[in-house]
Amino acid sequence: MTANHLYTYGIIDQEDVEFDVDGVNGADRAYTVDHRTLSAVVSDIDALEPEQSDANLRAHDEVLGEIMDSKGGRTVVPMRFGMVFKGAGPLKNVLRGSRSVLSRTLRDIEGTVEMGLKLVAEEGATIDEEAVREDVAARLTDVSVEEAENGRFSDRLVVNRSYLVDHDHQEEFDDAIEAIEAEYGESTIVRYTGPWAPYNFVDLEIGVDQ
Amino acid sequence: MTFILDDLLINPWLSLARVLRSTAIQEAYDLEAIQDDIKENQLLYEIGERSEEEYRQRREELELELEVAEQARENLSGQVEVKR
Repeated sequence: MTANHLYTYGIIDQEDVEFDVDGVNGADRAYTVDHRTLSAVVSDIDALEPEQSDANLRAHDEVLGEIMDSKGGRTVVPMRFGMVFKGAGPLKNVLRGSRSVLSRTLRDIEGTVEMGLKLVAEEGATIDEEAVREDVAARLTDVSVEEAENGRFSDRLVVNRSYLVDHDHQEEFDDAIEAIEAEYGESTIVRYTGPWAPYNFVDLEIGVDQ
Repeated sequence: MTFILDDLLINPWLSLARVLRSTAIQEAYDLEAIQDDIKENQLLYEIGERSEEEYRQRREELELELEVAEQARENLSGQVEVKR
């Protein structure tokens, strides 16, 4: 079977780019499809609905990470996992239809990355959860651009937030996390992850007419 | 319990048995709870409290549970009101 569909990872400002990648469904090359001021980073794929496996989800994130790391830090509007188009034509139609919102979003998130923070209570630890949440929020608000509360899907999850952090303030943000770790490291496991493409700060509804 | 009484007050013809059955379906096929368990399993693996084998085994169980719950809700939703 020929790989004649396009799996889309994200949107960047127009630029011809090509990467060697470990992409979704084993794709080994990512490249760009342009429409005017925008470029979609894609790879060829057979399936219209790739399996949402760990390997594929990781591949999706890793390709976005490569785009972000390249050229000293590119801004990318991440697509959710599984955006497949039947060819360049339908993809360009979507870029055309969403050009203003995509361009605006690229400007809004320019020079930022998403960082994730979870504080997980050690088993049996007694914690004033509300006080911890307030303190953590207070420490990070000034060193971040924006924050998003994520679900507390486990009883042990005290904090689960994403932060949009400016590249220029990354060091201050890291320092604040270190201080949080020093304060709460005894009673909680601090899980600090990133940089990620800003999934939690991009609120786009893009019509997909594959 | 309050909502069962509410349902009975609003729909006096609704038998208690039917309301209880509806409640049982909601609890047995609580999709959000299963999705939360999937995320918690991932979290415990990431912080090293669950081995890769335990994580994979639990995830398989939960994914199966989710599939069954989704199917059951789909099949039953036409017969009883499933609230969430």
